[in-house]
Amino acid sequence: MASTVDIASSFIEGAPPGELADVVADVKTLTSDGPDIIASLAPAFARYNETQLATVKLPGASQEVVVSEFNRLEGNRYFDVESQTSFEVDHVTQEASDAQSYVLESQNADLVKSLLKLLGAHAREHYPNSSYGVYPIENDSAVAILLVANRYSPNNFWNGRFRAVYQVPVADPTTVTGKIQVDVHYYEDGNVALNTNKPISLSVPSVSAESIISRIATAERDYQEDLNRAFVQMAEGAFKGLRRQLPITRQKVEWEKVGGYRLGQDISGGKGR
Amino acid sequence: MADAQFDSALDLLRRLNPRDTKQNLQAITSIVPDLTEDLLSSVDQPLEIRRCPKTNRDYLLCDYNRDGDSYRSPWSNEFDPPLEDGTVPSERVRKLEVAANEAFDVYRELYYEGGVGSVYFWDLDDGFAGVILLKKGVTPGAKSSGEWDSIHVFEATDRARMSHYKLTSTVILHLANETEALGEMDLSGNMTRQVEVDLPVESDASHVANVGRLVEDMELKMRNLLQEVYFGKAKDVVGELRSLASLSETSKERATQREMIMSMHK
Repeated sequence: MASTVDIASSFIEGAPPGELADVVADVKTLTSDGPDIIASLAPAFARYNETQLATVKLPGASQEVVVSEFNRLEGNRYFDVESQTSFEVDHVTQEASDAQSYVLESQNADLVKSLLKLLGAHAREHYPNSSYGVYPIENDSAVAILLVANRYSPNNFWNGRFRAVYQVPVADPTTVTGKIQVDVHYYEDGNVALNTNKPISLSVPSVSAESIISRIATAERDYQEDLNRAFVQMAEGAFKGLRRQLPITRQKVEWEKVGGYRLGQDISGGKGR
Repeated sequence: MADAQFDSALDLLRRLNPRDTKQNLQAITSIVPDLTEDLLSSVDQPLEIRRCPKTNRDYLLCDYNRDGDSYRSPWSNEFDPPLEDGTVPSERVRKLEVAANEAFDVYRELYYEGGVGSVYFWDLDDGFAGVILLKKGVTPGAKSSGEWDSIHVFEATDRARMSHYKLTSTVILHLANETEALGEMDLSGNMTRQVEVDLPVESDASHVANVGRLVEDMELKMRNLLQEVYFGKAKDVVGELRSLASLSETSKERATQREMIMSMHK
């Protein structure tokens, strides 16, 4: 049987957008009979932060930077190209500390910086609240492009997250692969979740930061349009096929006639109905 | 501590992916075994189907027709696997249960055009209670599927020539779709609503009609609510995350509109 730490770890990693602190509080209460296990959940918090593209505020700054597997240095240190900073992350509290100057050393530094500038412009055009990053990966043989957009409205019982992760191999930058994931949680008098995962594979016509970001922007727009159409198709298709709004006769059920008559008192007068 | 743990368990199940409620419920009860009974009776899960060996008809399983490891079929009133002394309703309430099963079978055909339904009643000191279960699945495409589970639990308390009904309804709705253009899309969850009302009762037959109308009205309301949340709200939140229109142009247009309105007021 799975251990308490394994189970609690799966709860942490399953936290919906913007609700990690609530899940942690529940886990603490549920495990309160035993020793404090939060410290043993550190690996789960780290996995959650990296896969969910958690954003942290740099000390003394207002901007948020992304935490991911692509900008990890050593231990719990990560770097941000735009602010030329490296920082320590407390995965449990999602706080950054010990910021230090960080100069990007990469053969692809120019490509990374051009991509970053164009990605920033793209993000501001379509994502009201987003963070993003571009990092050299795989021993400088490829570049990772990330974007995460969060909107939390706990007072209205909904939260949402949009994540896009792309990889561009430098030797063959005409093939961009990646995925877009959207998670929405609505929990007023219930629990409703939208989870999507769209694999992306793009051919870029020419090797330039402009054409890469332009193709990504088009792919994201197309995906949102496809998703919007899918909502309509689900409503018109599967949903309608499950339960009709009204019977085919457009009449509600005549309850007195559909079973109640078999109950003693009406049997004698059954003919009259 | 037990109350706080029960509340935390419910809160957690309301936050974690509703598709995984069954596994998460098992996981919680393996950490806090004392919560098992209370959680099983308060957390709704997708209904399982079993075939009644005596009548060869399908029926639905839930905590209310369970006794130990056996389940009572609404069609035969017998437990499977057989139980010598399984809890069954009194003669009067069983009669009502039979009538309600017949009535809701018609209802199911009219609204669901298929699926499986079951009604279970049990005796209370000052009345009776019951659960109406309805389940339907569809697979409109190879990788597209939908599943609907309705769970309506009610209590009918006797008053003079009236009965007080308290109905708690949950619908669990799972929808999934996968295509080349879309990738994977999963829209799953559950919603719960309650209603309390006093209705006139002339005879036992009135109960079936009263409960029938309550459930029918509730399902209509909940179907509209689900439609609004699943296809309206969820889509709106995606639109809050990402704007199809250019944000700089949108804000420019807004500024222009404001200027026009201002100039008209001058």
